[in-house]
Amino acid sequence: MSDMSRGLNRRNFLRGSGLALGLPWLESTAVSAGESSTTPKRFMSVYHPDGVGLPLKSDPAWKDWSWFPRGGERDFELTKVLDVLEPLRNEITIYSGLSHPASRKVHGHSNADQYLTGAATGGHGAYKNSVSLDQVIAQHTGDATRHASLVMSTNGGIGGPRGAQTQSFNQEGRPIPAMNKPKEIFDTLFLASGKDAQEKLARSKSALDFLIENTRSLGRKISQQDQRKLQQYLDAVRDTEVKLERAQKWVNTPVPEVDTQRLHLDAGPEEARLYFQTMYELIYLSFFSDSTRVATFQLGRENGEGPHDLLSKAVDLGMAHGLTHDVKKPDGWKNLGTYNRYQASEFGRFVKRLKDTAEPNGHGTLLDNTFAMHGSASSSFHLSRNYPIISAGGKNFGFTNGRYLKFGKGNEDNQAGAGIVSDAGWRGKISAEEEPLALLFITLLQRFGVETETFAGVSGTLDRV
Amino acid sequence: MPEPSKKAVDTLDVSIHRAQRATRGCTCSQAMRFAGIPQGRLGFVRTCLLAVSMLMLSMDAKAAEPDSDDPKPATMESLKIEGRRKSNFLSQQASKPVVAGIPSADLKQYHEVIQPLLKTKCMDCHGPDEEHANLRIDQINPDLLSGESVERWREIYKVLSNSEMPPDDEPTYAITDDDRKAMVAWISGEMNKASFVRRNTSEHTSFRRLTKQEYNYAIQDLLGLPYAIGNSLPTETASEDGFIKNSEMLQMSAMQFERYRSLALDALKRVTVLGPRPESVVYDISMQEQMEKLASAKNAKVFNQADEDFKNNQRRQHFFNTETGEGVTFSNGSVKPRGESADVAGTDSSPVVLSLGASNESKWNLDRFLPDEGIMRVSVRVGRTSMLSDEYASLRLIFSAHTSNNANFSEVISDRDVPVTSAATDPQYIHFDIPLSEIQRNPFRKLETTFPRRDEFLHIRNVSSIRNNKERMRLHIDHIKITAPFYEQWPPKSHTGIFFPSGNRADENIYGREVLERFLERAWRRSVSAHELDQFMGLFANYRAQLPSFEEAMIEVLATALAAPEFLYLTEYSVKGQDDDAERISDFELASRLSFFLWSSVPDDELLELATDGQLSTSAKLREQVERMLADPKASRFHESFVSQWLGLEGLESITHVKDVELLSAMREEPIAFFADLLRRNGSVLDFLHSEYVLVNERLASHYGVRDVFGPEFQRVPAGKNNHRGGLLTGAAVMAMNSDGSDSNPLKRGVWLLERVLDDPPPPPPPDVPEVDLTDPRILEMTLKERIVDHRNKAACASCHSRIDPWGIAFENYDALGVFRTKVGAQPVDANATLFNQQPLAGIDGLKRYLLSDRQDQFIRAIVHKMTAYSLGRPLTFADRSDVDKLAIELRQSGDQLEDLIHLITASDIFNAKQATGSEHE
Repeated sequence: MSDMSRGLNRRNFLRGSGLALGLPWLESTAVSAGESSTTPKRFMSVYHPDGVGLPLKSDPAWKDWSWFPRGGERDFELTKVLDVLEPLRNEITIYSGLSHPASRKVHGHSNADQYLTGAATGGHGAYKNSVSLDQVIAQHTGDATRHASLVMSTNGGIGGPRGAQTQSFNQEGRPIPAMNKPKEIFDTLFLASGKDAQEKLARSKSALDFLIENTRSLGRKISQQDQRKLQQYLDAVRDTEVKLERAQKWVNTPVPEVDTQRLHLDAGPEEARLYFQTMYELIYLSFFSDSTRVATFQLGRENGEGPHDLLSKAVDLGMAHGLTHDVKKPDGWKNLGTYNRYQASEFGRFVKRLKDTAEPNGHGTLLDNTFAMHGSASSSFHLSRNYPIISAGGKNFGFTNGRYLKFGKGNEDNQAGAGIVSDAGWRGKISAEEEPLALLFITLLQRFGVETETFAGVSGTLDRV
Repeated sequence: MPEPSKKAVDTLDVSIHRAQRATRGCTCSQAMRFAGIPQGRLGFVRTCLLAVSMLMLSMDAKAAEPDSDDPKPATMESLKIEGRRKSNFLSQQASKPVVAGIPSADLKQYHEVIQPLLKTKCMDCHGPDEEHANLRIDQINPDLLSGESVERWREIYKVLSNSEMPPDDEPTYAITDDDRKAMVAWISGEMNKASFVRRNTSEHTSFRRLTKQEYNYAIQDLLGLPYAIGNSLPTETASEDGFIKNSEMLQMSAMQFERYRSLALDALKRVTVLGPRPESVVYDISMQEQMEKLASAKNAKVFNQADEDFKNNQRRQHFFNTETGEGVTFSNGSVKPRGESADVAGTDSSPVVLSLGASNESKWNLDRFLPDEGIMRVSVRVGRTSMLSDEYASLRLIFSAHTSNNANFSEVISDRDVPVTSAATDPQYIHFDIPLSEIQRNPFRKLETTFPRRDEFLHIRNVSSIRNNKERMRLHIDHIKITAPFYEQWPPKSHTGIFFPSGNRADENIYGREVLERFLERAWRRSVSAHELDQFMGLFANYRAQLPSFEEAMIEVLATALAAPEFLYLTEYSVKGQDDDAERISDFELASRLSFFLWSSVPDDELLELATDGQLSTSAKLREQVERMLADPKASRFHESFVSQWLGLEGLESITHVKDVELLSAMREEPIAFFADLLRRNGSVLDFLHSEYVLVNERLASHYGVRDVFGPEFQRVPAGKNNHRGGLLTGAAVMAMNSDGSDSNPLKRGVWLLERVLDDPPPPPPPDVPEVDLTDPRILEMTLKERIVDHRNKAACASCHSRIDPWGIAFENYDALGVFRTKVGAQPVDANATLFNQQPLAGIDGLKRYLLSDRQDQFIRAIVHKMTAYSLGRPLTFADRSDVDKLAIELRQSGDQLEDLIHLITASDIFNAKQATGSEHE
């Protein structure tokens, strides 16, 4: 699929696609004036389903295979699950005690949908989601780049309600389809836009010209007072025209040439290592070339079969989801921990790559100007609490790393809900208190320069980050 | 809103308890207005603590309790007649004040008579020494025509004419009736003159953007789209007068503008078709076949009517052979589509039926064959096993998918529950038309693999009022047919409405002009010039070069026309040649004004044709058209929109204490149903204040304790002797939204009554009113008593609240859900209050009596004011005063009837006058 006009048909344009081109009439197109040409700020989020291993302290596996670190904020000690991040210890922050309050009592399998939105998506019945964190940022930064955001997942598309296969939701809470084929993503990012996009822009331009003329002639027939009101309409049309010109600029600007050495564009999830690395590399290249500043990547859907289930082949283990059910079998905790460890190592490889690259459009490294998140909406088996979250980078907009930040009360050793393998776990009563994850989101948004005090009905910011 | 410390409450007496309840909800809407913050969906509520000052007031109210042994109080209906006799409007001439030449202010009378009175009777409290109500009588400009002090004079007029000032408890300042009359007469006369003068210099206009709702209706009516498409547009905020049509509130942003064009394009694509008729998917479900299939299964639960435990088997949905009495329990069925032409099992009735008791549902797995778009028609042939009038049953459709463990959804897809009214022996067809593109679908339905699951389910549910479903009425369904996409005809009417048959189809340039002209006239609501058509054809030529078909290019052009201001805005100018009276709007503008008033949408062809012929503005045609419009189903939009904005029903959206969804929706519907019923009967608007009947459905009737009302439809039934219902004031919606979530809120109720019913909004508080954010923990720590002490001395607040709170106290017998009560906890309710003018109000009964006997004119003027503002789509200003008075006089003299009011307004000068001034015509 080398011709982009085939890859992105008109329907895709209308519905918004994984790559939100800066074209008018698109819901995912950014509106605000955005950032000026100072050093870019970037956001990326990786979501993995099925949570992490949390054995009980009494379990012999606890010492090595419990996901969360031990110890204090600075002197924390990583277990075998995350020890692959030890060389990057000063670049990362690990969080505990955060979750979205609206879904704490919902089965973990239904919760990938709300990881970046915090909406009360519930467990059954009618379904409604809200805007995701990345899209709020994209709205703010999107005008500066060719693509407002890059939305990827292993399974592609949107998935179903409570079975999302995308982490990104637009302003109306509708899912933005994720792309999952490396070749398709590469073509969209780095091949020139096709004739279709050109023509659509041209049509929009003619419509605007026409409307401006028509509005002028109407203005001549109405009172001066009404003309002032009409001016507001004219301003709106002109703003749109500016956006259109910006979009036109991107269409006319040659796409950046990038080093494709590390890409394996034909890889699929069954070749887990190549696929993983290629997807991360695509995010890296899109950031490096400043094609977009916002990316989300969902490693598989919650619950059950699908291409993502093959990712655990990378460490020669059985189906990924099965690992979470088999923790009480011999080597069960170890197997799950090994898979989580592998996920962490790939994230680490990406973080290191950002760290080793000087910022091409400003000061510091790419990592200094990127806030990268890695996490899940459940910790222990199906339990929608204590999300296991790692963040990296963001130094240039105020994040200090090398820390293990515990939030909430009553679960300092991360034992609440630990060791469970049945649904009694997520339904069970938990008395530990947690902080809303949205507090971290608001902190982040404010550091991106988004003027907001609230997200998903939560207001405030997170201390210490 | 936080609860004050319980301990504090215990130490105080009943009155304090009541005061405390008022305090809790004192959301000081005035403070918000004063601060320039629009009321409505504010995330935070500033709270004025000073309602505590009404503590004193409620104690007074107790003392003023009238003797309840009063022998035979007059009936409400006789009070209506009696009160009408007192009307000033009845004796006035229904003509606007005629002022010869340019009127000037009568300053002579002011200096000789008025000013000395003001000095001796008012200045001590409203002067340099004390500045109550933020008013300095010595600084007010007596020249009302200059405009600067007009609002202050209006307040003075109000308190003088209502005998609220000077205060009764200040004998030193008492004025004689003659002096009062002289003052009122002078102010009134000056206000009239000022109104006349300002008519020509006023800063108001009806030029405005369509509201989101109007946009939705307009697109639907224009294109024949059966559902709303613009739900993603931002919602409008109501202006201070409660109406959302105020042009200042209707902004336009780049985001919105873009959305308009893409919505229009989307809508046009949905109502037009390309290529040959697509094959429809048809599921034709024969109950006979289903039963046979089920009965032959291994573990089938077969039973017979003759069995002893038949009743138990009846609990669940089952197939039933009405001839043999045999039944099979049914949980859900799978069906595959048949070829469109194969009309099997079809319409012949069979003895086998699907039997649904109350809350039973049948769930059908339709697999993955439903198309992405178009209408899905679900036809169900159904009847009732018994026809008792106290039994009610209806059908509801639900759509669901269960894509994998814990990834499922289900949603109601039918707009409303459709009642089943036929007997099972003579069943009826019920049709549902569901837009498949607008409902939640299973996103995996096109997968190649079988996981996640690809199938979709349709549930047909019996929603019934019957509780004991063992023995009572059941629904019998003998045929279900599902067709998608469903077309009444091909090509669809919506398509031929745009691309109509013409002899010129072969020539794209000629036909293109024809299509455009017809479309533009309807969308822009006026005739279009050849020059305008030329311009559009230029755009068409541009698009046609890029797009493969005439229709696709034309749709792009039409979408542009729907993003133009002439569609999106209500404009006001005259087409040349028709404009012989510069003061009057053109017939086309009249058509739009009428249709946006009564249909919330664009005019239909009949209105436009009459406008084209210049016939619409003739009084006979106008009346005839208004009657036609009110009889049209689209008039329900007017009922809904006017009533919800007038009464502020959006307040129901911000309360959370009504947990029963059915009750909440019935609460909201009640005043709308009341209005619609009154309008249909052309009844007296005084019924809004009190009626001997109520409009209720079954749910609301049981809430009110009204008996023998069945079903979800609203019906007019006697209010009953001791139900304390009738009219709009005591509706559960009004009571619930003016509560604080757990109890009544007298302050909110008082403000509501003054603003919405009496059009006498409380004045803004003086600038020194402290605003207290109750989320501030420091304030929260204060006990109620401390708050009272803290604010007792601020008398400025008392003067304001004493005008508001007594009105609300009179509603104390209604709790936060609008249920009538005589006790709050262990304490008896005390709903006696005393108005500022010392008028005692003995609860709701007393309040209604007072309004009916002494405040009829005020209410009539208020409803005229509200309706006129709504009809014009702008807030009324001082300059409109004489027009409103004239309409009020006419309404009173014609008998206070609601439909008459609509006719009076549509025929009025103000409705037919150009609203904008200073227009520059070519």
